[in-house]
Amino acid sequence: MTTVELTPRQRTWSAFRRNPLGMGSGALLVLLALVAIFAPLLAPFPEGYGADTSQPPSAAHWFGTDDIGQDVFAQVVWGTRVSMAVGLSASVLAIVIGLLIGVSAAYFRRLDTPLGVLVDLSLSLPVLPLMILVAALAGPSVRTLAVVIALFSWPEVARVVRSQALAIVPMPFVSAAKVVGGSSWWIVRKHLLPGVIPVVGVSVVLTTSRAVLAEAGLSFLGLGDPNSWSWGTILHKAQQSGSLASAWWTTLFPSAAILLLVLSTTLLSVAYNDARNHRSDT
Amino acid sequence: MRFIGIRLARGLLTLWFAVTVTFFLVRLLPGDPVLAVADPNMTEELRRKLLADFGLDQPLGVQYLNYLGQLLQGNLGMSFRQSVPVTTVLMERLPWTLILTISAMAVTIALGIPLGVLAATRAKGWMDRVIQLTGVTAQSLFVPSVGILLMYVLGVWLGWFPIGGAVDLDATGFAATLSMLHHLVLPCLSLVLIQLGGYVLTMRTTLIDALGEDYVSLAKAKGVKPGKVVWKHALRNALLPTTTIAGLQLGTLVGGAVLTETIYAYPGIGRAVYEAVGQLDFPVLQGAFVLLAAAVVVANLITDVAYGILDPRVRTS
Repeated sequence: MTTVELTPRQRTWSAFRRNPLGMGSGALLVLLALVAIFAPLLAPFPEGYGADTSQPPSAAHWFGTDDIGQDVFAQVVWGTRVSMAVGLSASVLAIVIGLLIGVSAAYFRRLDTPLGVLVDLSLSLPVLPLMILVAALAGPSVRTLAVVIALFSWPEVARVVRSQALAIVPMPFVSAAKVVGGSSWWIVRKHLLPGVIPVVGVSVVLTTSRAVLAEAGLSFLGLGDPNSWSWGTILHKAQQSGSLASAWWTTLFPSAAILLLVLSTTLLSVAYNDARNHRSDT
Repeated sequence: MRFIGIRLARGLLTLWFAVTVTFFLVRLLPGDPVLAVADPNMTEELRRKLLADFGLDQPLGVQYLNYLGQLLQGNLGMSFRQSVPVTTVLMERLPWTLILTISAMAVTIALGIPLGVLAATRAKGWMDRVIQLTGVTAQSLFVPSVGILLMYVLGVWLGWFPIGGAVDLDATGFAATLSMLHHLVLPCLSLVLIQLGGYVLTMRTTLIDALGEDYVSLAKAKGVKPGKVVWKHALRNALLPTTTIAGLQLGTLVGGAVLTETIYAYPGIGRAVYEAVGQLDFPVLQGAFVLLAAAVVVANLITDVAYGILDPRVRTS
């Protein structure tokens, strides 16, 4: 049985490996993760005032300095930590909630209508202004950002999961599991979740990239953690000091970092999706 | 009529949901609204008086009903900082946000349809690849980054467009209109760039599907010109799912407007939100969300009804 189970996965992997775009994106993500982990080795934590204010990029300051003389390279390196950590933890949280709600809606018929209405309503509201309100009320911190973003990102996951799980619920092995006397929770855990997870893979990646964008947006508006750096915070400081229109280096590098992270996660999900579809062709 | 009634009821339900969620979030979250209004060192007596003034000493249920009642009369409460009703603050700003978002949407659709057609009719060609890759990239863009880039290149370096504000205050009459359009270009373009990818990609997929339908083969067999087959036969059907995307993207559009207005100091609701964040002016933040949610609900209602008119099948189902 194990060989049969492993083959499709191996096939997906070999198809994925042949896709340069997917491999390149994966490598870039690994690189960014390494930067996030080893930030303290790459640059000192940016704080206080420096002597060289508003300097363009040079050998001493690769990405230039901001209006109070802090090194922009150090800000971007340390920002990688918070941006990736918030993006990742928010999406993990959103996916756990989305999985639970999506699977319950598909399996427990009575819950389907109320949960469906809840998801529809949440999806039709403008999310950013709502996140702004909640983040402002809860007070800015890294944890607040992750929770707030997760709180308003799960409906999308729940919708994808539900539609996938609905296809599995009527399958004979689910009825068989019921006949054997399996509890609902056991059936959900052992039969529904494994069937849903491959599809959720794509959703995970997309949720992460959206979470990164949401974090950047909230921090840009001034709702970031005041004690740590994120790419959105760098842009917020540039906006506040009025260097948006004069010091291009204060905005270009954090912007490029956001673009690289979001684009590589998006392309990774596209490549993964393509690789998985090859399986059905063969 | 029944169809419109159902959609209307759903819109009202969404609005009620939005209002209720925000009410309870604001009351249950830790940020003490009174601390936000006044000095933390004030006396207990003054604190009580302030609580009573804002109606915050009543039981939660009573506060909720009061809030709903006030909302029905168009009252969103008082701004903590400016001592004017939130409705006044926001209504002054609303027209600017409407001008920005509606123009951005119109330009997006005007560019998205031909680009989608171009990609679909050359599916798998190099042009299609370029459009697809650009579309995916555009969806990964961070709105403020786009705004800053455009501001820098077109506003600061080339000096073609103003980089802040919505209108030249000295201008009058026709010159004022021109100045308004001139100020609109960069913020509008920023929003178009982030929206366009989604439209083009959806347009492309649905048009490719439509081009494989029997009625397209029939039209071709009858000898209808290829261009006419695409534009008159397939496109009309491909437009329907695109209408749905327009509805779904409204939330993104509104979020994008908040960020864009911040960059360009454009005096819309989004800029008001940014200012309110800096001042912890919760009633303005809450009011802005309720108003924006209402705008999205109304726009969705219009999209739904338009869809019903375009496609009779929707009305019966």
